[in-house]
Amino acid sequence: MTTSTRTGLDDYVAAGPTAIAQGRVEALVIEHQTKLARYLRRMVGDAETALDLSQDVFLSAYRMLCADPSRELRVGWLYRAATNAAISFMRRRKILHVLSLDRDLDGSSWRIDERGAASIDLQAALGRLPSEQAAALLMTSYAGYSSAEAAQILGTTADAVRQRVCRAMKTLRHVMNEEQSS
Amino acid sequence: MRIGADCGQAEVLAGAIALGEAGDAERNAYREHLSVCRRCLVSIGGEREIERVMSVIGQAREQEQWQPQARSLFSRAKSRGPFLRWSAAVVAALLVVFVARQGYQSHPVVVNSVTPPAQTSVTAEQEARVVAALGTQAVPKREHHAESLAFSARENAAQTITVKVSFNAAGKPTHCKGVHHANSQKLVATLCDMVMRGR
Repeated sequence: MTTSTRTGLDDYVAAGPTAIAQGRVEALVIEHQTKLARYLRRMVGDAETALDLSQDVFLSAYRMLCADPSRELRVGWLYRAATNAAISFMRRRKILHVLSLDRDLDGSSWRIDERGAASIDLQAALGRLPSEQAAALLMTSYAGYSSAEAAQILGTTADAVRQRVCRAMKTLRHVMNEEQSS
Repeated sequence: MRIGADCGQAEVLAGAIALGEAGDAERNAYREHLSVCRRCLVSIGGEREIERVMSVIGQAREQEQWQPQARSLFSRAKSRGPFLRWSAAVVAALLVVFVARQGYQSHPVVVNSVTPPAQTSVTAEQEARVVAALGTQAVPKREHHAESLAFSARENAAQTITVKVSFNAAGKPTHCKGVHHANSQKLVATLCDMVMRGR
């Protein structure tokens, strides 16, 4: 819950991060932040949110390493945490979409710096996908993991990942054909 | 490898082909399936079609130009736009309900004025207490962070929502109704739904 998150964070800030955890997280940030944030951006469709979520992921990693500096932390963990964060965010956004009278949340910001027509088509199609399918598709074809690696990260089987990719592809194809015919 | 008319297995094969993980046996099995399954032929398509669809993602990846700005681990963006403004309205409503619960004397208690701009001084701790008291996760956790409350009171000034909430002897909400909610029926209904679900 939030209270504990804030308290924990405040404690860490007040106490000062351990050098080991800080060093390891800094290395993770340098190596993976861009790729992870891009993956998240495709998942949630918004740059600012992607940055927030990726920051959350690294912060979680930092807190985890503060608690146990000897813990092994692989990049797969980052993607798993990022995927979970993105899925949670999308669920919350669904709730707030009901509340919001301001429907155009982030479409404009996406289009400003994504000028390729294919990118826009892709993002529109990704928005239609169930989050599990979007995660499988992006983790494999966008982030470059194999179905076996993605399965490990997502906690499922390689066949399930391939099937999700196929189903996501069906939607993509549908959107592409729709746009072509219109 | 034979999969016959098993469309689920065909999807697995098509996924493997899409990811470049299929060998000859898998490709042949998929082709064989397409020759007997018109539904997959129409919905997924052949290998060339799979390649065409997947090339969109490859193209997007190659053309990706966005360079995320490096952020300090403990800093947050100042504003999150309309997302925040509305979550703040929800927080404000929940806060009033919480205050009503705390100040419960005899039932039913009526809460009859919820004005989002008045809540701009709410602290993150208060927000968290409200949400905790109502036992709801509906308000996104990131909106509890302190910086998220420096939101636009002026922009919300025109939006005043009044909600009546009744509580039983145990302090649980039993009834929620919007009183003054011009053009905001949906918002009020959702707020009430959240309040009631938070029992």
